[in-house]
Amino acid sequence: MTPMIDVVFLLIIFFMVVSKFASAEHVPMELPQPERSQARQVKLRDRVIINCQAAETPAGPQVLYRVGPNPPEVLEQISSRLARAQAAARAEGRELIVVLRADRRLPFAEVRAALEVVRENEIEQLRLVALVGEGE
Amino acid sequence: MGQADSGNSKPAPAPVNAPRRALRPSRRASEPRMSLNLAPMIDVTFLLLIFFLLTTTFQRAEGVLGANLPHDRGRPAVSLPISPIVVRVASTGPAASDFALRIDDFAAQPVSFSELSGFLVDIRQNEGFDVDTPVVIVAGADTPWELVVECWNAAVRARCRNIAFGGEGR
Repeated sequence: MTPMIDVVFLLIIFFMVVSKFASAEHVPMELPQPERSQARQVKLRDRVIINCQAAETPAGPQVLYRVGPNPPEVLEQISSRLARAQAAARAEGRELIVVLRADRRLPFAEVRAALEVVRENEIEQLRLVALVGEGE
Repeated sequence: MGQADSGNSKPAPAPVNAPRRALRPSRRASEPRMSLNLAPMIDVTFLLLIFFLLTTTFQRAEGVLGANLPHDRGRPAVSLPISPIVVRVASTGPAASDFALRIDDFAAQPVSFSELSGFLVDIRQNEGFDVDTPVVIVAGADTPWELVVECWNAAVRARCRNIAFGGEGR
């Protein structure tokens, strides 16, 4: 019995170490995968994640915009969320960073609509999310 | 204290008149059998194992591409930058490799994103162009986001510091 328990514990420790629990903010989607990607994994403070998700609905493909883990919203609601986050960050003397995660198949017009919202709120710090390159 | 403990741990002397042989078997029978019940631990362990097996997803890591949006805070000391470098990207078919790239006002037109990155580096050889020269990525409304990010990535690779989105009509 002892060797079996050893093996099982080893497996558990292996999975505990390699598991990265998916954050609810990172809605699963197909992210852009540029060749020789320059994307870097960095920890950002004061960031708001905008997810632009391509969803297949019976009525055809649709874009779902959501701020972090929140349910999908229309862009006006997202704009007001950004305005509040921006005001809170400015009150503490910091700059808000918007991280844009968009499905790679989305037409640019749909993503640009989200970018317009960022611009309207006078947020200058923007980050685009892409997959990190192989071996980088 | 040590002495007192050792005194307590000694078995109490049997009464003188008690038969020794009769006492020993009865003491053994009353001792609880020491054993570890492994079954619940194994149950829990297997549950944990199954949990991790199911929840683990091996996924490519995602990172961010820096993008500071331009801001008209002051003006550049040198007004040399003639015009921004305008990179136009358009999709020409459904496959990921179906795209067309164009750089306005320059003769050489790249056919791949690696080449675009090289051109953006080469353009700096011209007078008035440097890493701070704005690079504007112009894409049609129906261009897939992936192609736009490819252009952005190429510009970041070329160490361009001032990258922006432009648009052809909404």
